[in-house]
Amino acid sequence: MMKSLGKTKLRWFWIWVIASLVFRLVLIYLPENLNLSSRPEVSTPLTSIRRLAEGYWLKQLSVSPYAGSMYHGSPLLLTLLGPLTVIRLEGQPDHLLCSLVFVIADMISAILIRAAGQRLQMAYCLSLKSLGLHQVSQNSEVLPSGDVSALVYLWNPFTIVACVGLSTSAIENLMVILSLYGACARLAPLAAFGWVMATHMSLYPAILIIPVVLLLGYGADAPPRKLFLQRKYGQVGTSSSSDTSCPEEEAKNQLRVQNVFSWSPVLLFWFWILLWSSYVLVLSGIYVRQYGGLQELFKRTYGFILTVQDLSPNIGVLWYFFAEVFDFFRSFFLIVFHGNILMMIVPLALRLNHRPCFLAFVYIVIASMMKSYPSVGDSALYLGLLGLFAYEITDMHFSFFLFCGYVGVSLLSPVMHNLWIWRGTGNANFYFATAIAYACLQIVLVIESVSAMLNHDRMLAKESSAKLQDVKS
Amino acid sequence: MLNRVRGKFDYSNCNRLGISCDFEAKICAELGEARRLSDSPAMAQSDGNKLKPRPVVRLGILLISQSFFVSVICLTAGVLALLLLPVLAKNTYISENALMPGSANNMLSGQDVSEANKLVKDLTSLELRLMGLGMESQRLISQYMSDLGAEVSYHKFYPQLHQFHPLQFFSGPDSGIIWKNNSCSSIGVNTVGIIRAPRGDGKEAIVLVTPYNPNKIGMGEALSLGIAYSVFSLLSRVTWLAKDIIWLVADSQYGEYSAVADWLREYHVPVFRKVNTGDTETCIESNILYELGQKPYADRKLYEGFKRAGTMAAALVIKVTDQNDYFEDSLNIYAEASNGQMPNLDLINIVNYLAVHKQGLRIRVKKMLSLLNSSWLNTLGLLFESLGQIARSLNPQWKFGIPATEYVEGAATLASSLYYQGLGVPTGPHGAFRDYQIDAITLEISPKVSLTKMARHNEFLLRGGRLIEGVIRSVNNLLEKFHQSFFLYLLTSPSKFVSVGVYMISFALLVAPLPIVAASLHADANNFDCNIVKEKSSSRATSGSKDDVKHGSWNWLNSAKKVFVFHLWGAVVSLLPYFICQMPNITPKTSFLLWALLSGFSLLILHLILGSQFSETAVFQPQDREWANLKSATISASFIGLCLMSVINFAAAEIGALLIIPMCLMARPLKLDIGAKSLRNFAKAACNLLFGFVGFPPVTYVLLKGVFEGFYEINVGDFWNWVESLWAWNSATYLFVGMVLLPCWALCIYILFHPC
Repeated sequence: MMKSLGKTKLRWFWIWVIASLVFRLVLIYLPENLNLSSRPEVSTPLTSIRRLAEGYWLKQLSVSPYAGSMYHGSPLLLTLLGPLTVIRLEGQPDHLLCSLVFVIADMISAILIRAAGQRLQMAYCLSLKSLGLHQVSQNSEVLPSGDVSALVYLWNPFTIVACVGLSTSAIENLMVILSLYGACARLAPLAAFGWVMATHMSLYPAILIIPVVLLLGYGADAPPRKLFLQRKYGQVGTSSSSDTSCPEEEAKNQLRVQNVFSWSPVLLFWFWILLWSSYVLVLSGIYVRQYGGLQELFKRTYGFILTVQDLSPNIGVLWYFFAEVFDFFRSFFLIVFHGNILMMIVPLALRLNHRPCFLAFVYIVIASMMKSYPSVGDSALYLGLLGLFAYEITDMHFSFFLFCGYVGVSLLSPVMHNLWIWRGTGNANFYFATAIAYACLQIVLVIESVSAMLNHDRMLAKESSAKLQDVKS
Repeated sequence: MLNRVRGKFDYSNCNRLGISCDFEAKICAELGEARRLSDSPAMAQSDGNKLKPRPVVRLGILLISQSFFVSVICLTAGVLALLLLPVLAKNTYISENALMPGSANNMLSGQDVSEANKLVKDLTSLELRLMGLGMESQRLISQYMSDLGAEVSYHKFYPQLHQFHPLQFFSGPDSGIIWKNNSCSSIGVNTVGIIRAPRGDGKEAIVLVTPYNPNKIGMGEALSLGIAYSVFSLLSRVTWLAKDIIWLVADSQYGEYSAVADWLREYHVPVFRKVNTGDTETCIESNILYELGQKPYADRKLYEGFKRAGTMAAALVIKVTDQNDYFEDSLNIYAEASNGQMPNLDLINIVNYLAVHKQGLRIRVKKMLSLLNSSWLNTLGLLFESLGQIARSLNPQWKFGIPATEYVEGAATLASSLYYQGLGVPTGPHGAFRDYQIDAITLEISPKVSLTKMARHNEFLLRGGRLIEGVIRSVNNLLEKFHQSFFLYLLTSPSKFVSVGVYMISFALLVAPLPIVAASLHADANNFDCNIVKEKSSSRATSGSKDDVKHGSWNWLNSAKKVFVFHLWGAVVSLLPYFICQMPNITPKTSFLLWALLSGFSLLILHLILGSQFSETAVFQPQDREWANLKSATISASFIGLCLMSVINFAAAEIGALLIIPMCLMARPLKLDIGAKSLRNFAKAACNLLFGFVGFPPVTYVLLKGVFEGFYEINVGDFWNWVESLWAWNSATYLFVGMVLLPCWALCIYILFHPC
């Protein structure tokens, strides 16, 4: 009976995936009424397809693609997507091929998220069983978190808008997910490739190196390591009296594995990082050889990201701040804002090191909040990843408030923008207010999800100690 | 022990995230509180001893726990604040110093006026001589224009069939749309004259618009052309002009609005049409421009292409109409553009100031006439008046309260202002300008004697011309575009207004109960669930707890899904008229019935497709609290919708709030009330049914129409016509009705008949 239920669920999953594919295609073929690709929410200076097309055009004219502060993305993206931007099929919408690339990227992302979710869930169940928490592990099996998060990613309006609006964030997200999946599946080359490409394209995923290394070293998300230690010592005390059977042995193995940091995949990972990054650098170096070389490339991409040169409004908060701030304070605040991200890395890594995937999620939220040019594509990524922890965060507070907040802000923000830019009856503060509200929502989301996760850990600790007490008495 | 650790962690965690201190403290406090709320009573007690919530949080908890009283108080206060608006209205004042209206003497002389009179006579005689030969009048006007030394050009346009672009307020003007060429039979020709300013750099312009129908020139239209011409001829000579003057003689045979809108579109967003030569040859009228060019006076200053001046600072639409029973010349001002946008108040102020103080015209804005005689409003006015007197007797400084008659007048004007803004349909060709951020109003001047009987036009032309001249002179002084005064306001009389800061209060009070009630319902429903989970886990009921654990705090998902389905249905219903309109030869009545039928059908289909999808996961939810969750989701959705609409079109949101907020707040399954069998519950059920009946948009429309215009000529098709007009004018109100009001109503009905 369980099996048939699982089969129907599987069928439903694929139906929904195909439906999302069809929905995207329909949106692509609709006449461009909403003009999504020019919306500030969708296309930032880094992700806009129009800028990419401009960069490609400049390159075709033997000018540096970075000339004129138009394009700021990776040269590899230019070689991949550039030729597609100029191909016009008769009677088809513009940029059809690009749209198809983004749709495919979305689909692959969803499938990778699903695979990663399944692996995470399996590992989690195993570790729970090894702790003797069969009840909890059964509960956690009910919710197919991989399917949930894949569908959340695919059907999230943010993802759809970013995909149809031809934002390259679909590809950046794919790279991040690729790296996480590679780490979950312990495929060091894949993880390294994803990480290198993601960092190359948008810089901020660089901080994901910590969760990826933890994933490779300790394995997937598990309950706190202390519990395993307690369990181990508790079992050592009682093992002489209880009969030792095969599953017990396996569980013990599991216990041992959980606490050992395996160096070999990590070293392999570093090696592959070196390989891939040198490869990427060489390729980009060849591409921009005539236009100032790698130094110019770094200045125009990473420098542009870090110094927040483009102050056109977006859904982040930095543009307003740097438009207001005095010039001589500018570099100070640049350091402050970027330091903010870096400061949170270590404490979070210490607290959440037993849950590297969740740690990656938290990092991504924080980065997309503090980013210099955030877009809805970033939110799409972390909201999709949130689904991976569907079981652990069941008791999250304010989930309804957060949901309503996201809906409200994402509707209100374009209206405020319209009021400011097109109607002229509002001003920048109107739009910025929604940006602040959005940032606050993200903060609440991080706080709530982390506290829900820690509460879940506490619950596990309680259950586990209760189990130990039972065994001892 | 555990609690202490938890409390500590919250704060340390926040610090680690490095959020600004204030916010973080608030959030953490709230976290603690929420946890306290959702935990079991015993834990809450132990928690409460250690963590004392902050005053702000305690206030929030108090509000949520007393949601009933809060909502009653807020709703009453909101309605009261709305009724008080005419009392709170302020006198208008010229906010921009540069305008300086009326500071210069009028220069319009008798000579200009007699020239204008000649034009009027020529036009009317032309009308008598040649019936139906349109181009002759354009030629005449262009001749007059070019005699003054203006650059004259023609603008040929194809009046557009109305297309539906309801999402303009989300995305901005759609420039990329390719307009389909209509058949050649309907073609309009605007005549445009431009005077270049001797002191300007050609970067700014002021626009005069006189709509007229070339096939049938009435006396009023001829006089409006005369007024514009007199001003135009003066301005062609003056030295102080710093902005170019554009005189657009709009061809209104296919509607005033579309002519002006088409010219503006061409002015701002030039369209590069693929001209099919073979196609244009077949058009008879395509030769019109050529024909016009052939005439002997073409050598003056007639230009082939589209002429432009600079950005437009302001636009005045001039009309002359007959009026019936007034003792002095009067001036009607129309200002509402699409989606309740208004021009800058300064523009209205100038016109008002000049008309009243300089030209002695009587200014009127639209009033809801049926309200003038209503006794309850009069009583209310008397009440406020006596209150004001009491206040003044206490302290002479308090200037509260206005005479009752003035209150009634103000309320009638306010009601009409709210209605026309809320409708979102422009009240004249000035509406087209607002889409390009240009402030524009329509001035409708009516003389005291009938137009046909008027013996001497000169005096009337002089008065009107001087008014226009004064306004243009003021606008000419402007250094920047209008920005100083208000854009968001409601008029209670031509010289009194309510600004956004005041009228928002009433709206905020109206919607304030929504989040509070939603939060309280949500907290109630979740507490209940938590208790169940606790009980079950304590009794180790392993089989049942699995499903409860599964959703935890996420059990609102199911009700959110239902709300989403209903709103999706709203979207489908809003799209249906598009398809119904395609059907030929259909009366309003049948199309309305068809619409209703298809809507019900689509609801059924949506329910079958999406409603059954998750039903397997939905069964576990305790039925008796499900409606609470559903109601909280409904209220949240309507709150979001209302807030959104208040930004897009305040007046529509205000009217909608008055309709749906009581309904949303009262909604409660009838079964509960009928089961209780007490008088109070019966009253509740009756109220619910009443609100449910009144809240249905067509019923609301019929009732309102009946109240204001009498019930005797109500027709089912009226609602369809009304909706069609909203739809044709791209009003956001249409979407508001279809995607907020209607789904909310449907959800409330669903809650009413919920089987709990």
